Amino acid sequence: MFLTDLQIAGRNLAKHTKRNLFLGGAIAAVTALLVLMGGLTAGIEGAMLESATILMTGHVNVGGFFKITSGTGAPLVNDFPKALEDARKAVPEIELATARVRGYGKVVSDTGSMDLVLSGIDLQAEPMFQKVIRVTQGNLDDLAQPNTILLFEDQAKRLGVRSGDALTISSATARGANNTADLRVAAVAKNIGILSSFTAFMPAASLRELYQLKTTATGAIHLYLKDPERSAEVAARLRTALAADGWRVMDPDPQAYFMKFQRVNSEDWTGQKIDITTWKDELSFLSWILTGLNGLTGLLASVLMVIIVIGIANTLAIAIRERTREIGTLRAIGMQRRKVLWLFLLEASLLGLASTVAGAAAGIGIAALLNLAHLAVPESVQMFLMQQHLTVTVGFRPVLNYVLGISAVTTLAALYPAYHAARLRPITAIHHIG
Amino acid sequence: MKKITLLLLALALPALRSAAALSPAETLQVVKTIDERQRNSGDWKALAYMEAKEKDKSDVVYEMTIFRRDQDKKLMFLFLAPKSEAGKGYLRLDQNLWFYDPGTGRWERRTERERIGGTDTRRGDLDESRLAQEYDCTWEADEKLGKFEAHRILLKVKPDVDVAFPMIRLWVDGTTSNVLKRQEMALSGRLMRTSYYPRYKKVYSESKKGEIWYPEEMRFYDEIEKANQTLILIKEIDLRPLPANMFTKAWLESKSR
Repeated sequence: MFLTDLQIAGRNLAKHTKRNLFLGGAIAAVTALLVLMGGLTAGIEGAMLESATILMTGHVNVGGFFKITSGTGAPLVNDFPKALEDARKAVPEIELATARVRGYGKVVSDTGSMDLVLSGIDLQAEPMFQKVIRVTQGNLDDLAQPNTILLFEDQAKRLGVRSGDALTISSATARGANNTADLRVAAVAKNIGILSSFTAFMPAASLRELYQLKTTATGAIHLYLKDPERSAEVAARLRTALAADGWRVMDPDPQAYFMKFQRVNSEDWTGQKIDITTWKDELSFLSWILTGLNGLTGLLASVLMVIIVIGIANTLAIAIRERTREIGTLRAIGMQRRKVLWLFLLEASLLGLASTVAGAAAGIGIAALLNLAHLAVPESVQMFLMQQHLTVTVGFRPVLNYVLGISAVTTLAALYPAYHAARLRPITAIHHIG
Repeated sequence: MKKITLLLLALALPALRSAAALSPAETLQVVKTIDERQRNSGDWKALAYMEAKEKDKSDVVYEMTIFRRDQDKKLMFLFLAPKSEAGKGYLRLDQNLWFYDPGTGRWERRTERERIGGTDTRRGDLDESRLAQEYDCTWEADEKLGKFEAHRILLKVKPDVDVAFPMIRLWVDGTTSNVLKRQEMALSGRLMRTSYYPRYKKVYSESKKGEIWYPEEMRFYDEIEKANQTLILIKEIDLRPLPANMFTKAWLESKSR
């Protein structure tokens, strides 16, 4: 029975090819656009997760602050081997753990200066770092040598330096004493989005020397999990476990560590406090990009949905007007009102489903072509999109959601005209002229 | 005969030099004198002009009032100009330096080694001199600095004392004990800032029952970013007692409105 209904609905659609092609085309275009927008957002999020979790955050981080006086906080974890041991006990699913020294300093060259967030890295312990960094000058392995620095292209340009050139870095220790270090540019790497505009890398030992830190002190322990999606749950578990082990743990605050200085310095405590964050917390300052893109997609989707609803309602209203006598005849030979309603709804949902599937296929195809074309993102946009080449990541679930969602809207839009058709009296409908 | 004279001279030179050298006690006395000459036991109010020159930026001239109550180490700066900075202020309460921005209406705790207004000026440049208290001193040489005969003294921070510059080299006028030149070094030993004090003035302090010397002009040269420099002029010193409840956040906020 359903197949017969489906056949009737399909034939009715085919009978008005031009009109339905036009409407179906619009629905397909909307679907394709949404698939592409969703893919772009997913691509940015994916690039963020991939590059940022290697450059500046783990999936979960054991960071913290040490305050000698209540007004001077430094991003430090003292006795980090013990903290790591405790973390491993609480989180057996840790795949990899690395220690990063955190700092902030003024980097001065002969021709310029800039403030940079400094990350002290042990290159041997982080082989995946080399996967993300693409060196354009110098040698990344040189970063293992003391008093070297890795800069990104824009930083090197602003400072007017090349690999091998000398720089001076000036910063204050946790006790507030000024210190400097003379560094050599080990390598210059290609920019990686907004992160590379303010982050530079130094050997952990050199950064420790600049800040006069013990070898057991670090900025944060980056923990990498098999499943990054579980970071929030792992962070909550770690917070409880470390507190139970006697560490003073800060309340959750979903912000990057360098955004917390003002708050931490205004609090009346001294000594060590541990701060557990997830990669999403550390990159929260970038979330506006994703929020903005999602907002734009949402706005676009809403506007397009309104157009679809009006289009469907209008098209079906015309169809019903054209087919009034047909409806009258069907009703006269015994077709129930419910059946008429059902047939019109089926017609609309068939149109919606066919169009959205076609649109989704087109969207997936265009996304694949864009990925294949390896399109370079303009430098000004790279900063926000966190990628140098456009990557559109289309997932199965979002596509399924778009297809089902838009089909449902199309069907719902047909509800009123279909109801109107079903309410027609047979005698009036048969005598309808027009 | 000539040979004997030369030999005698060669023998006498180290002796002459050691006669000119300051003993540790004398060196400490020189440093204590610097502090003592600038010490004021009562209240202090001064109008200061601060001109900051930075590379690739336009020069900025700040005008501010400095309030001090040296007895209990209280200190307050209130910016009067330029318009964008007017109303901002610093207040030291106990060991904490607070910064107030009327734009946001918020107080932020800052380090005592804070660069005042983002310039090369530090809180210590405008505060009471506590060199003998914070540093150990060593005489290095006596030498001519322009037309002045100066003692060159090296100061190294005492253990467990927190200062912005762990090493300072001073050129102190042998006659007046005024600091003429000052070099401040980082922990690494690198020279970070050179300061010159070309003009001193004295005022009579009722609370001290004596004269206070203060540098009327200070010039700071950034040795890391060579193009950056700051000039400070201290004007209109007033040593009359300030209102008792002045060094409070509420007072500074009321003046910022």
